[in-house]
Amino acid sequence: MVELILGGRTEAFEPLITPYRKLLLTLAYRLSRNVEEAKEISQETLMRAFRYLGSFDRKRSFKNWLLQIEVNVWRTRGARTVDEGTLRELAARNATGDPEERLAGTEVRERLLSCLDGLSPREREVFLLRDVEGRSVKETAEVLQTSSVSVRVHLSRARVKIRNLVKERFPGLMQAHR
Amino acid sequence: MNCSRVRKWIPLYAGADLSARKSRHLEKHLEGCANCRTEVEEHKAALAGFQTLADREALDWPEAEWKALMVRLRSEKPERHRGSLLGPTPRKAWAYGFAILLVLGIAALILRSLLSPPAPAVLSEVITVTPAQPSRSFMKESAASGTSPQDVPFEVRTKQGALDRSTLAARPGSSKPAQDILSLTLVSQETGLKVHWTFNRNFEWEEKKQ
Repeated sequence: MVELILGGRTEAFEPLITPYRKLLLTLAYRLSRNVEEAKEISQETLMRAFRYLGSFDRKRSFKNWLLQIEVNVWRTRGARTVDEGTLRELAARNATGDPEERLAGTEVRERLLSCLDGLSPREREVFLLRDVEGRSVKETAEVLQTSSVSVRVHLSRARVKIRNLVKERFPGLMQAHR
Repeated sequence: MNCSRVRKWIPLYAGADLSARKSRHLEKHLEGCANCRTEVEEHKAALAGFQTLADREALDWPEAEWKALMVRLRSEKPERHRGSLLGPTPRKAWAYGFAILLVLGIAALILRSLLSPPAPAVLSEVITVTPAQPSRSFMKESAASGTSPQDVPFEVRTKQGALDRSTLAARPGSSKPAQDILSLTLVSQETGLKVHWTFNRNFEWEEKKQ
């Protein structure tokens, strides 16, 4: 499909990228914690992916390549502080409302997401890719263009911070999951 | 194994990222330590909370915005190769190549300094016996000005006259009248080394060593 696009069939880019549209937007939001900024980051990611498709190494995972571009776009824009207003807007927009699930409440999810703000940019990247997106340590290292050792160090710090924040803000959640 | 040693492994263990060997050590410790077990459970609960959230929270593009973005992308043209100076070659390869060149360069410099011939004997002797003060290194000046050589480890003798016949014979234009010359002899008081310098008016010099 990449060859098709490079050969001039640019309409083939949409089916290539569609499986990742939610992933890219969601990761961008989790990194930036701002919906509008997340859209801009995702858009820039797709533009770069399209423009530099010729340099994509076919031996690599296309998904990881996209994630790498997105993290780089986010870094280029610089880490931003959290906009609480945007958080509320997002929480309201994404309220799905499952009354039996403890995490269903938008208020709880909003506060849980805010725990990410206690992490440094690098810790947030590592934590989101490994623990939220489910990438392996090796894949996370590849996406972030760093070593597995560095990923483990940042991951360990991030998990300690997250555990402390969740314990402090959601003592009930700790009990529920034991 | 004590708690302080294994506690640093707990965050990685909770997410199944700890090596098998360390995991075995930790599990053995957990069997007898309730505090560490609680910490492991807390880590797992926090991670599970986030993962539950992640499953429920995916954002998506509004359809109209997505279509507009795709139309915009189609109007552009992808590049076959990235416009990077390094091209598609991994940057690591360039870094390794540069590091190897650097190491080879340093090794060549070291070898050159070890294998290069020592400086000429006379020069090294003069340098060895000459004190550090710059005024002492220029012996001719002090000899000509008649200052006392007591503080200099050389015996300095000067004389003016003509070059000897053999010297003159070896020079072009030797049929000309003899030129004024200055002869300078440096004698090291420590080693006894004598260095004879003979200068003519054109500041050409010849050296004899004993």
